[in-house]
Amino acid sequence: MSVRVLVTGGTGLVGQGIEYVIENEPANSHFGKRDGEEWFFIGSSEADLRNQEQTRKLFEKYKPTHVIHLAALVGGLFANMARKLDFLRDNILINDNVLHTAHEFKVKKVISCLSTCVYPDKVEYPLDETKIHLGLPHESNFGYAHAKRLVDIQNRAYKDQFGDNFTSAIPTNVFGPHDNFDMESAHVLPALIHRCYLSKKNNTPFVVWGSGKPLRQFIYSRDLAKLFVWMLRNYDSVEPLILSVGEDEEVSIKQAADAVVNAVGFTGEYRFDTTKADGQFRKPASNKKLLELVKDTGFAFTPFDKALDETVQWFLRNYNNARIGKPQ
Amino acid sequence: MSAQILITGGTGLVGQGIKYAIETEPVNSHFGKRDGEEWIFIGSSEADLRNKGQTEKLFEKYQPTHVIHLAARVGGVFANMARKLDFLRDNLLINDNVLHTAHEFKVKKVISCLSTCVYPDKVEYPLDETKIHLGLPHESNFGYSHAKRLVDIQSRAYKEQFGDNFTSAIPTSVFGPHDNFDLESAHVLPALIHRCYLSKTNNTPFVVWGSGKAQRQFIYSRDLAKLFVWMLHSYDSVEPLILSVGEDEEITIKQAADAVVKAVGFKGEYQFDTTKSDGQFLKPATNKKLLGLLKDTDFRFTPFDRALMRWCNGSYKTTWMLGQASRSSDGHGFKAILTSQMP
Repeated sequence: MSVRVLVTGGTGLVGQGIEYVIENEPANSHFGKRDGEEWFFIGSSEADLRNQEQTRKLFEKYKPTHVIHLAALVGGLFANMARKLDFLRDNILINDNVLHTAHEFKVKKVISCLSTCVYPDKVEYPLDETKIHLGLPHESNFGYAHAKRLVDIQNRAYKDQFGDNFTSAIPTNVFGPHDNFDMESAHVLPALIHRCYLSKKNNTPFVVWGSGKPLRQFIYSRDLAKLFVWMLRNYDSVEPLILSVGEDEEVSIKQAADAVVNAVGFTGEYRFDTTKADGQFRKPASNKKLLELVKDTGFAFTPFDKALDETVQWFLRNYNNARIGKPQ
Repeated sequence: MSAQILITGGTGLVGQGIKYAIETEPVNSHFGKRDGEEWIFIGSSEADLRNKGQTEKLFEKYQPTHVIHLAARVGGVFANMARKLDFLRDNLLINDNVLHTAHEFKVKKVISCLSTCVYPDKVEYPLDETKIHLGLPHESNFGYSHAKRLVDIQSRAYKEQFGDNFTSAIPTSVFGPHDNFDLESAHVLPALIHRCYLSKTNNTPFVVWGSGKAQRQFIYSRDLAKLFVWMLHSYDSVEPLILSVGEDEEITIKQAADAVVKAVGFKGEYQFDTTKSDGQFLKPATNKKLLGLLKDTDFRFTPFDRALMRWCNGSYKTTWMLGQASRSSDGHGFKAILTSQMP
């Protein structure tokens, strides 16, 4: 049977991870492409999903049977705080356009993408799938968080009223090739990699913003990609699913920075600027539900240092084509 | 100074209450119209606010300087539960269209309308302005609640990024003229009134669903209206404001039913069907913040019995009730009943 999978945000970090997996995993394996499947990776240059007409034209062109919906307006701490309305509204528009058009086109399954960063700021840890809405999110991703939480609500409403098979995945902090390395908006790992690279090139100190103490569970985009492919094929509940390494595998920003220094081969002055904000201190999430579901698939997470090294090597090889923002 | 004040949902329960206040309160008083103000009451027949183009045309036509945004898709428990997506999405569309168009038209102030029914189901009472987002709302108004809560989020985002003066009011259970009396979707007081009229005319027992012990804070739409007018002129914070009678002024459903029986003049058998659910037992909200802000005005809430009596016996109500007759669950009867009651 013909399966046409549309991946919105397909040119981004997670989308490119999925494209890599589909092209490199053995065909018909747990995480590889199957016979009769076509995968389409769409970026914003092909359609502005904030626009309903453009979204509809995209669906008319590709006639997807399945959608992995990754497209979003994302940014780091500072961008989110300066443009609360844009991050809220653009994401609400994108999500409503994709979900409603998928509904109208009778798409068989939509998997949207939330994030552990949308959870309540004040909540009992570890996070699990039941706690998403138990309080306000951290101010540092106000607009993005509210728009993403709404996706879980929208999924339930479509499922309840129409029986649509809509659900969502909740990754923790993702990193990997094709990330956004523009220091004005990058997340912590790509920002560290880019900054360290420049320090090495320019012979300047490598300064890490914040205290280095916050803890994060990082997930390699290519591991996350395999899990998305698995979900597409096997997961049919409306209940969201956390996609993360274990709780005991949190890494401090300092540990991450140390790994970056190592991978880049930086030997100059290396310190922390404690006048800069840390963002949320920690937010461990439980991957119990996931581990139970994938236990017979042979899935294993790539060790952090190895994944980081692969990412850094990709960045160094692809510097001129990567998303690096203004030249430094 | 010239001001054009657009009221969306202007033909509804709260909108018509505001119209009454504007037409009857002394000009330039705390709760009245001011010189140079034009108040424009809009209903869905004039513009479908789920549609961006129609919303923009509406703003182009009236060039509002201020907006009181009351328009929403509302309904009773059964409608809300059968159509979760419609109640969610229609309200999201309406709210985004009104707020964003108001932003684009550089409207000086928008006051939107939430409700205490959008609060978390599991929460410590009394409710206050800080608890709106502390957990999921009751399933019985899933879509409506999520869309309304988002208005508070949207207001804060517009304020923070652009300095827009957007805020919201949070009334408790509203009642008054121009309410929805359709028994399939009416809220408790209009449902009681409608049911009691039917019992009187058909000579049947007046049966109230539930034990009668559930408690509610009811606010008369004309009192609420004065508070909206006051907020428009005097309240400039993004923080939402609860508009309610005091916590100690909660009324049981039995007390409300007793008042309805008296106002309607029903003398037949009157009982409670305890097999039916009570809904939430109580959900008191504090009006401390409001009272603090109003202390230098002469504002007083209309006593409940008096508001109810006025509402049941005024001739204005029959026009609305007649308008609802075609949607009433018993079909024909209500219109005939009222015609026979008219003096």
